[in-house]
Amino acid sequence: MSMTTQAELSRRDRLKTIRREAGRALGAALIALGIAFIIVLFTSKAPLEAFNVLLTAPMSRPRTIGLWIDDVAKLTITGLAFSLVFQARQFSMGVQGQVYVGALAAAYVALSPIGATWAGLPVGVFCAMLAGAFWGFIPGIAKVKFGANEIVSSLMLNYIAIELCNFLVRTNLPKPQPGVLTTNNFPETAVFPPLVDGTRIDLGLIFALVAVLAVWFALYRTSWGLKLRLVGHNANFAEYAGIRSTAIMVSAMTAAGALGGLLGSMFVQGQTYGYLTVLFEGNLAFEGILVAIVARSRPLAVPVVALFYGYLRQGAQLMNLRTDVPSEVIGVVTAIIILLVASSFSMPGRQFWARIMGRSAAAPALEAQK
Amino acid sequence: MSALLEAIGIGKTYPGGVVANDGVNLSVNAGEVHAVVGENGAGKSTLMKILFGIEHADRGELRLDGKVVSFANPREAINSGIGMVFQHFSLVPSFSVYENVVLGSEPHAGIRFDRQKAIAAVRALSEKFRLSVDPLPPVGQLPVGQQQRVEILKALYRDARILILDEPTAVLAPQEVEELFVAVRALVEQGRTVIFIAHKLPEVLEISDRITVMRGGKTVGQVAARDVTEQSLATMMVGREVALRVDRASNDGAMACEIKALKVKSESGALLVDDLNLRVHAGEIVGLVGVEGNGQSELLEAIAGLRPIADGVAYLDGTSLSPLSVLERRARGLASIPEDRIARGLASGSSVAENLVATRLDDPRYVRNGLLDLKAIKANAEKLIERFSIRVGGPGAAVSTLSGGNMQKVVVARELSEQPRLLLVNQPTRGVDLGATQFIWKSLTQARDAGAAVLLSSADLSELLALSDRLVVFYRGRIVAAFLNSDTLTPETLGTYMLGIASQTPEEMQGGLR
Repeated sequence: MSMTTQAELSRRDRLKTIRREAGRALGAALIALGIAFIIVLFTSKAPLEAFNVLLTAPMSRPRTIGLWIDDVAKLTITGLAFSLVFQARQFSMGVQGQVYVGALAAAYVALSPIGATWAGLPVGVFCAMLAGAFWGFIPGIAKVKFGANEIVSSLMLNYIAIELCNFLVRTNLPKPQPGVLTTNNFPETAVFPPLVDGTRIDLGLIFALVAVLAVWFALYRTSWGLKLRLVGHNANFAEYAGIRSTAIMVSAMTAAGALGGLLGSMFVQGQTYGYLTVLFEGNLAFEGILVAIVARSRPLAVPVVALFYGYLRQGAQLMNLRTDVPSEVIGVVTAIIILLVASSFSMPGRQFWARIMGRSAAAPALEAQK
Repeated sequence: MSALLEAIGIGKTYPGGVVANDGVNLSVNAGEVHAVVGENGAGKSTLMKILFGIEHADRGELRLDGKVVSFANPREAINSGIGMVFQHFSLVPSFSVYENVVLGSEPHAGIRFDRQKAIAAVRALSEKFRLSVDPLPPVGQLPVGQQQRVEILKALYRDARILILDEPTAVLAPQEVEELFVAVRALVEQGRTVIFIAHKLPEVLEISDRITVMRGGKTVGQVAARDVTEQSLATMMVGREVALRVDRASNDGAMACEIKALKVKSESGALLVDDLNLRVHAGEIVGLVGVEGNGQSELLEAIAGLRPIADGVAYLDGTSLSPLSVLERRARGLASIPEDRIARGLASGSSVAENLVATRLDDPRYVRNGLLDLKAIKANAEKLIERFSIRVGGPGAAVSTLSGGNMQKVVVARELSEQPRLLLVNQPTRGVDLGATQFIWKSLTQARDAGAAVLLSSADLSELLALSDRLVVFYRGRIVAAFLNSDTLTPETLGTYMLGIASQTPEEMQGGLR
């Protein structure tokens, strides 16, 4: 077999894999939607209308499209952060905490004299990434030096970050009036400019797209990325090959932390807020786990999954607002999607039916022989 | 005489299009030992899984006592009197021997598990079939050979008339193999039938009455053991002439590696390698003989840098290795083929190309300024795939899609892609088919002839005897005997030292230690 046909074959193989994976994800989404429809049938007085809202509302107005795309940008970043640690087979759950410390750092910069200059935006983003990286580094180094389980330590750090943000907003950061749980609005120079006026689509979308390319490049075009993936596939092998797997683990968690910090700045410096408040992220950070799992931790698949998932998420919120169906229904839908994708289900195809038919056909045949 | 168990025209294609069996015929007579031989991937295991009801044939039929049968699952096969002992045992380590044997069909007294009856039953069975095992200790404490007997007893307890043994000798020391054969003969005397899967030909010829040879999913033929030789059988299996011998080193070079008073400890502090002295010269293969767990693997790991050296020194070309990292050792010409390719030697989810450069990620040919040179990595992979005839779709294919022999070739290709000074080899051909074994042996001797000093550990004595120029025997972390290899050296001689029954005096060892 010549090399050209081999290359052709491996390319075709890759396309086949992509098609199969995409088919699986879509199949999962369809099945989950079907189940959602059944639930809506039981919980709503006007089920068709409610379901219609779920499926079409995000597209209905420029404002809702803006909400959707803004969510997609944020889901992409958290999905990338989780993909990075998952590829190194680390289970750091720290994106949420990194978002809060990142947001804090961005807020301090924005509300400082620097915030009022042109440097307010870039320095805010940079400091947020730095803070997030530090927050991601802690569970990594604790694992390497003291054997601390990264799941536990990163989850604990999430609480610390949330409460730290809570505390500083109440006590330390400047507020428009005593007693409110928000800071002063950031100066305009520290806030992301909108890309489409009148919507929430802002500079964050560009950051998300750049991050997708950067993570993809880092994972598949640099030696650090190859080492990271080798460590993720088999840490014993990496050690045997002379790769310092502990350094790779820590650096993967730190890099993911920087992405978490970036997400924090996208929240508070973005068009959505433009100020810091308590509990601002609404559990979006954790939904990156779902995005990463469905995308199989592939950076280029993350934004695609985020696009679909963000749509569903936005539809659910609008359904909650506009109809009598609680948004918890969508919790059920996302749970079903995760279950179907994570359990590597395959569409019940020929084999499945063949087996059922084979069994029932073979049984009488056996009887006949006796 | 009509056959007890027959498989006629069996065909099996796995999802994904791998044709495992394509018109396989097998005919086993009652009361015989019937060997099924073939390379890895020849379809032996698939055929056995079909006989035992784990897989289902797409075509063909099975006949038991002349009647057509079809097993939906192993339970139906067991009920028809077929038992199977897998290469990887399915025992509960914390349960006692008798509990493991009766598990699933325990004798009852009322609703209570009748332990005394179970123990008595197991004793009776082990006496009848000369499979001596104490029924009381937990299985996890027993050596592998005994665990295997427990597996056989399990099948016999369920009244197996036909016993399928899947590569039973792969895990055994020579003496244990002898004991297994005694039991197999006892089984046949009592009227049981044994199907014996193997690819070590001398054993097959010794124990079996008739042999079915498989190649590429087809049966090549059925022969009587007394009518064939090792060589003719090998030719049938591979489909071409096979050289089972390799040439010895013709010259010996300068000393490459010197190990002085080396000690290696386990995490719990137990001495695994104790005060070891050994010299290896360029251009020779030194075989490390010993039952697994006597320090050979640990010695190799310590030299490779995967385990700390507790005391003593290992020199490579005069440089002490202890302070050096794995990469620094590799830069000085150390290469190593590890014991377990899947656990240690490969990242099976990664591509072949990535695996082939994994040890050279600081080499400017493949990585510059932290960026991968994908073209060079791919070219390297294509070159090595060709040179080591690795059967793979392309450099981008995941290693996990390869067969065992080809996976091992990827490891060998990576480690020998540049001529090493010191080559550490552990179980180079475990679970690898004859064709690949022959290729790997040739690669190792080529590396030796080009000036590598080779330390070789293997559980397969015939491999050690075929490849080594010198042999040292390990027992409990120490060298107890040393030999220059010659045709007069037999596995039995080595066996007495391996099991600690005998040891040489320092003077006797001198000749083999150099």
